[in-house]
Amino acid sequence: MTHHEVEKYRKPIRVLHWIHAGAFVLLFLTGLILFIPGLGFLAEDSWTRVIHRIGAAIFIIIPIIYLVINPASVGRGLKLAFTWNKDDTGWIKALPRYYFTGDESSMPPQGEMNTGQKLWWLIVIVFGVIFVITGLAMAFAKTSAPPAVLQWMVFVHDVSFIVAGAMFFVHIYNGVVHPLFNEAWSAITGGKVSAEYAKKHHAKWYAEVSTGKENKA
Amino acid sequence: MAEKAILYDATKCTACRGCQIACKQWNENDEVIPTEENGVKAKNWGSYENPADLSPTTWLKMRFTEVEAGGNVRWLFTRQACMHCTDAGCVRVCPNGSLYHDELGFVAYNKDTCTGCGYCIDACPFSIPRSERNIITGIAKMDKCTFCTTQGLNRIDAGWEPACVKTCPPGALKYGDRAALVAEGKQRVQTLQAKGWTKANLYGENELDGLHVLYVLDDSPAVYGLPVSPQISAATIAWKDVIQPVGWTVGGLAIIGLGLNWLVARANIKKEAKK
Repeated sequence: MTHHEVEKYRKPIRVLHWIHAGAFVLLFLTGLILFIPGLGFLAEDSWTRVIHRIGAAIFIIIPIIYLVINPASVGRGLKLAFTWNKDDTGWIKALPRYYFTGDESSMPPQGEMNTGQKLWWLIVIVFGVIFVITGLAMAFAKTSAPPAVLQWMVFVHDVSFIVAGAMFFVHIYNGVVHPLFNEAWSAITGGKVSAEYAKKHHAKWYAEVSTGKENKA
Repeated sequence: MAEKAILYDATKCTACRGCQIACKQWNENDEVIPTEENGVKAKNWGSYENPADLSPTTWLKMRFTEVEAGGNVRWLFTRQACMHCTDAGCVRVCPNGSLYHDELGFVAYNKDTCTGCGYCIDACPFSIPRSERNIITGIAKMDKCTFCTTQGLNRIDAGWEPACVKTCPPGALKYGDRAALVAEGKQRVQTLQAKGWTKANLYGENELDGLHVLYVLDDSPAVYGLPVSPQISAATIAWKDVIQPVGWTVGGLAIIGLGLNWLVARANIKKEAKK
């Protein structure tokens, strides 16, 4: 085979990603219609709240199931999200140049996740937890918590919605829409990327993989 | 049309609660009557107040307050129902305009379009709206005083007084043009003050840009369990006037920014291809 491929995401990770992504999209859309007055009629009779809660249940339960199945993987993933070094600051400094000219030559070599992917992954973790805490409070403490507490829960939930929602656009754009990023798509669908792509975009990770020192997420 | 209002004179109220009954009867809000059979037992909770709280089927209720003044116990009665604020927290936060001001100044709502989010319940400075909420599914509908303008049961359109006003035996409730009732309330306050009720006041003239239920009180609103200076909460303003526009801005900028990058990236690919 002339076209050498390396595995980027194992199957359980991909399944986790897609179920969680599906739940997030459900939550995003059913939440969005409370944000757009013109679409508010869609929420009549609370049926979107029922979908929102089904989505929330999946959103909460699936990562917990994965945690039970493979706690070591979750540990590695968390470590990855919270490990930042000078290559990340270098990447961020090189980002405007890449944005305006498409020139990525000044970007430092990246690990399994580049800084942008890591930032999104960090946002998923941090805001995921905030969504769940404030959401559970709104769902189950609605009749018992003081009104001011509930109002601030909605506020924080919506701040998270704005941050995570805007970054979700970026995520979709980079994964599906961007003219150059098609291999990130094949990584999360089929699990594999070409060696050339890995070398070019995830040099540090490719070095680990090719020398057999890799830590699969 | 001239704004309408209800004037409630606490100094004339005998707490007969005829208004509560008339409200329920006219608006077809049945109450569960406690019996042994339905398992709902009436409980003595230390007050003649009944029922204990507003509910989706109790839009109006008399609150009883006992206060000590100069060695005497005073038994005070207050009307607890929607105040129909001009600057209404519930109208501000309603995500799809189900709550709105009608042309007479009342806070009306369309129950069919209510999403049951409950934001109004938390935003009300008087803690008035209620909903029956399924804790698992979250399905809910808000209810509160409609100023007797419920579709099909609209007394105001028919040229009648609200049911509570109509039934009030001591004339503690009046319905009419708001401006006239403000004048009448002020006059009543002056009369009370002349009689020695120095703390008498008219509540609702300017609160929240003017309530459409005005109260003649013989003591501070606090004594009657009313907020002395009702305010739209900081969270309401933060959510409606900060978070909503910020959300639109951030979302819009993200999409524009990504769209521009798409054009840049495409142009670069074409350039590469030409090389």
